[in-house]
Amino acid sequence: MSIEISNITKTFDSFKALNNIHLKINTGELVALLGPSGSGKTTLLRIIAGLERADGGSIIFDGKDNTKKTTQDRKVGFVFQHYALFKHMTVFENIAFGLKVRPSKLRPSKEEINKKVHELLALVKMEELAKRYPSQLSGGQRQRIALARALVVEPKVLLLDEPFGALDAKVRKDLRRWLRKLHDKYPITSVFVTHDQEEALDVADRIVILNQGKIEQIGTPEEVYDNPVNPFVYNFLGNVNLFHGRVHKGKAEFGSLKLDVPEHLEARDRQVVSYTRPHDIEICLEAQGHEFIAAEIIFIRAIGPIVNLEMKRVDNGEYIEAEISKENYRNLKLKLGQIVYVKPRDFRIFIPEDYVI
Amino acid sequence: MAGVIPINVRRTNQNKARERTLQTSKVIPIFLTAIALIFFILMLIVPLVSVFVKAFEQGAGLYYAAISDPIAFKAIKLTLITISIVVPINTVFGLIAAWAIAKFKFKGKNLLITFIDLPFAISPVVAGLIFVLLFSTSYGLFAPLLNAWGIKIIFAPAGIVLATLFVTLPFVARELIPLMEAQGTSEEEAALTLGASGFKTFLFITLPNIKWALIYSIMLTAARAAGEFGAVSVVSGHIRGLTNTVPLHVEILYNEYKFSAAFAVASLLTVIAIINVIIKNIADWKIKQQTKI
Ligand SMILES: Nc1ncnc2c1ncn2[C@@H]1O[C@H](COP(=O)(O)OP(=O)(O)OP(=O)(O)O)[C@@H](O)[C@H]1O
Ligand SMILES: [Mg+2]
Repeated sequence: MSIEISNITKTFDSFKALNNIHLKINTGELVALLGPSGSGKTTLLRIIAGLERADGGSIIFDGKDNTKKTTQDRKVGFVFQHYALFKHMTVFENIAFGLKVRPSKLRPSKEEINKKVHELLALVKMEELAKRYPSQLSGGQRQRIALARALVVEPKVLLLDEPFGALDAKVRKDLRRWLRKLHDKYPITSVFVTHDQEEALDVADRIVILNQGKIEQIGTPEEVYDNPVNPFVYNFLGNVNLFHGRVHKGKAEFGSLKLDVPEHLEARDRQVVSYTRPHDIEICLEAQGHEFIAAEIIFIRAIGPIVNLEMKRVDNGEYIEAEISKENYRNLKLKLGQIVYVKPRDFRIFIPEDYVI
Repeated sequence: MAGVIPINVRRTNQNKARERTLQTSKVIPIFLTAIALIFFILMLIVPLVSVFVKAFEQGAGLYYAAISDPIAFKAIKLTLITISIVVPINTVFGLIAAWAIAKFKFKGKNLLITFIDLPFAISPVVAGLIFVLLFSTSYGLFAPLLNAWGIKIIFAPAGIVLATLFVTLPFVARELIPLMEAQGTSEEEAALTLGASGFKTFLFITLPNIKWALIYSIMLTAARAAGEFGAVSVVSGHIRGLTNTVPLHVEILYNEYKFSAAFAVASLLTVIAIINVIIKNIADWKIKQQTKI
């Protein structure tokens, strides 16, 4: 089922939690809503589910206007941030709930309910725990029960609010991969909220980046990671080095570093910020022209296949972070305190007046 | 200029509430417990026990006679009738009020809470007087109306029911509001997303979650309805066998120096209090179990 969110605005008292949100989610997509705390992710998800009323705009499911429909009529699966399992019911009863509360004409028979619940228990690999109460489960188990409970009514839309937020790193990684497989197995459209960029980049078909109630960028993980449209997205999606400098007629100057920037030919002596990811920093042992800056190595972390380096620029004392392969690191024979020459292999330049970071 | 911005802001959402105990020497806790225990025995246990001692002072025969006396029996009957009218009404009202206050946002919420608290703030005697001022057939505000329809409220069982209704109004709502507020609305929202109607959500989710607190608050309402003296005393007129409730009957016996009989009837009210304490303990334990998650 496709979801079309158009012109959604939501104000709490005088605070604008969502500002003019437009978003189209295609049938079968797994979309991540990514943004810092308080950016409006939960609010948007709740509006899609009908748990919250928007001040303006509309929510359209498969071309049908759902804006005025109640939560019950929207038939979306919702997985809450803190599970919201029914404390007084067993795991089995929790999962069966969505079927049991149907009006008697639509309610499946007891055997059918039984069968369906066990199917879902098998799906989330929790068959032995059917008789337990939520308080007797671990965080990861509760999470899976919450998912099973939402899936039992076979929703066409699944909304997940930070489904793995309260779990440790290893479990979240396993569960999100599992969620991806699950999503691919069922004809379902999923939207999940996260503030963890790694999680979003890992499993989503498309990522929607929210900030202060506004959408900053929509795109595939590659698009948003490689081509952030503004400094906010750049900062939000991974570590980044900032170089503050000036640009004039296609030439940029960042202290002793000079770069050609043909995309800014019209710029006349403007302040700019250049963004470079740590893995796009090239390191040489000798200076080669104006494209390099001298820096002193002040920190090395050589654990695993990637080596993290922290350097201090000789000309202005600012810090630069780089990631190089272990092989490269061995070839260069880098040591603490050594002076090296650094160049941004890939960079993006933004003129700050256009954007507020 | 260059700078490195770390972005991995991770939130640790583990709300693991661990129960902690103060690590001090053993003397202080024992000392404090002893003080509390002595106070508890002096102020509660001794009076409670003495009620029963006094009641059975002149043997079980007299105890039985005091309770089965026709006038005492009428008083017990009136008290039971009052309870059976007041408790259901105040339970339903309290439940609705608590639900509205705890789970919804609306204008005038604070005003409603203030109104619910009013019977706590007003002295029961004053409450009784208010009803007299309103419903007295000689000088009450509604006197012409009541006389025209031949309705008698003051010095009649109806007045006793009204006064009791007023005095016991806050108990259910007051007990439930904090619990329901603490529970929040997320389970109800989960039920809605699963297609449950508002009524089924209330029946299957809200009600089971507050079951024990509700039972306890109903017991509390019943106990107060049985034991209310001040407000009832004002509106009753003390007509023996007609408008006397159990506490009023106890007072009459007491004033007539029939101490054993007075305590015998009073022991009935005491039994209700003891049952209350037991149910309160079960309820607290159950609520703790439920909210453990
Ligand atoms: N019921 C409410 N009343 C008032 N303000 C609210 C309410 N719900 C949310 N807000 C505000 O709206 C903003 C967005 O909230 P929201 O819960 O959508 O953030 P979020 O992106 O989900 O954040 P988080 O990652 O912390 O969960 C916040 O500033 C929050 O304080
Ligand atoms: Mg949130």
